[in-house]
Amino acid sequence: MSLIQLQGISRVYGSGPAAVHALRPANLSIEEGTFVAIYGASGSGKSTMLNMLGLLDEPSGGDYFLEGRNVAKLTDAARSEIRCREIGIVFQSFNLFPHFSILENVCMPMRFAGAERREMKDRAAELLARVGLSDRLTHSPSQLSGGQCQRVAIARALANRPAVILADEPTGNLDVKTGDEILGVFHELVDEGHTVIMVTHNAEYEKEVQRVIELNDGNVVRQ
Amino acid sequence: MSFFYNVESTWLSLKHHAFRSLLAMLGVVLGVAAVVGMLAVSEGARVESVERIQRQGVDNIILHSERPQANVTGGENIYFYGITTEDIEHFNTVFDNVKKVVPVVELHRTIYADGKPTDVGLMGVGPDFMKISRSQNADSRGRWISEADGVTASLVCSVGVDAARQIFGLEDPLGGTISVSGSAFEVVGLLDNPLRSKLAGKHDINNLVYVDYETLLSIYNRGTLQVVADYVYVQVDDLTYLKNTADRIRTYLAETHDLPDYTISVPYELLLAEQATQRVFAVVMGSIAAISLLVGGIGIMNIMLANIYERTKEIGTLRALGAQRKTILAQFLFEAVTLTGVGGVVGVAIGFLIAMLIKYSAGMPTIVTPGSVIVALSVSILTGIIFGTHPAWKAANLSPIEALRR
Ligand SMILES: Nc1ncnc2c1ncn2[C@@H]1O[C@H](COP(=O)(O)OP(=O)(O)O)[C@@H](O)[C@H]1O
Ligand SMILES: [Mg+2]
Repeated sequence: MSLIQLQGISRVYGSGPAAVHALRPANLSIEEGTFVAIYGASGSGKSTMLNMLGLLDEPSGGDYFLEGRNVAKLTDAARSEIRCREIGIVFQSFNLFPHFSILENVCMPMRFAGAERREMKDRAAELLARVGLSDRLTHSPSQLSGGQCQRVAIARALANRPAVILADEPTGNLDVKTGDEILGVFHELVDEGHTVIMVTHNAEYEKEVQRVIELNDGNVVRQ
Repeated sequence: MSFFYNVESTWLSLKHHAFRSLLAMLGVVLGVAAVVGMLAVSEGARVESVERIQRQGVDNIILHSERPQANVTGGENIYFYGITTEDIEHFNTVFDNVKKVVPVVELHRTIYADGKPTDVGLMGVGPDFMKISRSQNADSRGRWISEADGVTASLVCSVGVDAARQIFGLEDPLGGTISVSGSAFEVVGLLDNPLRSKLAGKHDINNLVYVDYETLLSIYNRGTLQVVADYVYVQVDDLTYLKNTADRIRTYLAETHDLPDYTISVPYELLLAEQATQRVFAVVMGSIAAISLLVGGIGIMNIMLANIYERTKEIGTLRALGAQRKTILAQFLFEAVTLTGVGGVVGVAIGFLIAMLIKYSAGMPTIVTPGSVIVALSVSILTGIIFGTHPAWKAANLSPIEALRR
């Protein structure tokens, strides 16, 4: 059984003649432990697809099986619960909480999962150590560079041991060298058995990943 | 979601928007301060007026003899007027629920001390006066004038503590004499009224000289006195029927007196009226409080909406990381309630200071009751809940994807 299975999943914004078919019915499956790139031009529907995978948005039609369970039509509470425990999200602009220390930032998903305070802090410190930030625990995000912020965001995404890591243009706000470093972190994660799905419009990254899903105008043209 | 997290995130958010938060809180602070201050003033006024009324004795009905106005006598000059001996006898014997009837007659003569006039008055009072006026013997060597003094017409008197000070200064008043209008009364006792009440609401009880009623009448008789009693205290047995007894006295006097030469005051009725006034006052105060807290609440709602607008992306991120709607709701509600709760505490403190200021600068009695503090605090918390719910609800129901797009 595949980790992820999309069956005829689609997303239409608006209705009538003005409707935007951001994602046309797509079928695809993703195996556990793969590094996948969702590739395409700007406006091709990459973010739309990632938001579907991350349960941030509801599909207009179709089914989505995550670890064998259909999660396409769940209540908001159930979707939140899955986002919390099964999905780790990394954003283009990091989306760290500016008023909290980076340790607290990494703790956040664990709070939502109801973790024990001590256990939560220990795990957050451990995760920050593995992205090379063990000496920065009490720093605030504004004291870190972009690359370091994205490392914090990756640590945060890993907090609740999710089944899949989703990243929307995670290197989009970083210079090439730093972007490559972040990509290196993803490689390490995949080597450890994690599943990483990354949106990119950078053709350079094609050779970095194990599989490319290409979108064009809402259609999956390669997978 | 832990309570600790809400405390921490609220603290960080409020700290980050310290000035804005303070401004938003100001409405609640001022509202609560005004409520606590005003309640303190009204409570002070209430307690003072209740005490004033109670000092006259709530179980008493007090009759006053009044000289009829010329317009009701048809120009005729009335010499004798007021409550009569028959009236007093009637109250004593016919009415039930009457425990004691104490006539008081005033001798309108100036009492001198060392040749100088004093403002001390002289009263002829029934033997039960000490008891019904809630006074006591101030000097254990002395005694109160008794019924026996009346029977033997002994020329003895008891002196209020203030009157004694005026007349005798530092000398021992006991055994001294008070001379007035050709008679000399030996001082046999000192009287103290700890409540510092006024006889019939007019004369300081501690600033009077008391002679037995019968004795005074027999000495001065109706040649000197135009009334047999300036005041009559009627003490009732059972407060429940006080109003009924007062009505019966009114009816009786209306039937037996041709001229309106008396008035009746019932401290208990005044007390009831006072309490009714207080209720009206409380309603007015409540409305003012409600309006000021409404204004405060709107301020809170405003800042919460601004906070949420500003933190939309943050809310989206929280939702993306798995925060439930109710978590977001609780977080922002907690923030609003913290604002109004802290505003309430500060408001109570300021209200307390206002009450102190009024007390010591304007000399008005003010009382901050625990009840008013509890009400003020619960209402401010309630304000936070009422006006924080809409913004918090709005935050909780943001679509994660819409929120993140910002
Ligand atoms: N909320 C929305 N309302 C209407 N159209 C949208 C909305 N979000 C995205 N779209 C449209 O859907 C298409 C795909 O968008 P998106 O998935 O963001 O593309 P990408 O991430 O590949 O750049 C675009 O044409 C975009 O304009
Ligand atoms: Mg995009």
